[in-house]
Amino acid sequence: MASKAGVLEWFKFRGKGIGYFGYAFQRLSGVVIVFYLYLHYIVLSNLLRGPVTYNDIVGSITYGPYDIFVAFDVLLALVIFYHGANGIRLALNEMGIGLKHNKLFFYLFEVVSMALLVVFLYYAWRFIAVG
Amino acid sequence: MMENRNLMRPKTSRGTLGPVQWFFQVISGVFLVFFVGVHLYLAHINFGHPIAFYDSVLNNMHNPWWLAFYIAFDWIVTYHALNGVKGMIYDMGINPPTRRVVAYGLIALYIVSIIYGTALAIAVSHIAVPPP
Repeated sequence: MASKAGVLEWFKFRGKGIGYFGYAFQRLSGVVIVFYLYLHYIVLSNLLRGPVTYNDIVGSITYGPYDIFVAFDVLLALVIFYHGANGIRLALNEMGIGLKHNKLFFYLFEVVSMALLVVFLYYAWRFIAVG
Repeated sequence: MMENRNLMRPKTSRGTLGPVQWFFQVISGVFLVFFVGVHLYLAHINFGHPIAFYDSVLNNMHNPWWLAFYIAFDWIVTYHALNGVKGMIYDMGINPPTRRVVAYGLIALYIVSIIYGTALAIAVSHIAVPPP
């Protein structure tokens, strides 16, 4: 049954608990990832334009002048790790696992995913810093 | 005492997508944890040699297993993304005729996207790696 809720309804958290927060941010993160997916198609299409063009694009968004994209990449990684962890929780819920302790499961999965995010960012940053 | 598990389930698009599409949304999501994990490792870590620049991408895509991996990744991630978009739009309470337009529009977008993604991957796999 449709809930007849607009996008702004996602962000009315008052009195709805952590489960609703998880739901709203699963959607928001999903929208961000869909946007990035098509941006990724566009960037990868430049492989057909040859090494100079492609390496210029990757270099400029990694080492400058458009290295602000590194900050966007960090935010994107945050969103992906959040979405994945919450998604696994929802998949487990479908199998009836964790329904009684939904709140605990939410925090557990997000803490683990954020720890993995920190490890990932550390190694990814090491590559950028070394060059 | 029997518990009503449906009352305990978190809020999702299960009701609006229907059981079959919701099932595929969950299954594709589980697969994507694997695909995204491998891709992030390969593109950003890979023992200190991430596959980021032109030559490394081409070398990677010349391996038929990686080519198949990325084509499968493209099909699954695009399905998961557009099916998720459909659930969000449906949840806004649109009427059945509009739902049909949305559904067919997203199916068309899916087909165009995976054809483009697959053609791009195959085209890249056929580009010769430039000499050093």
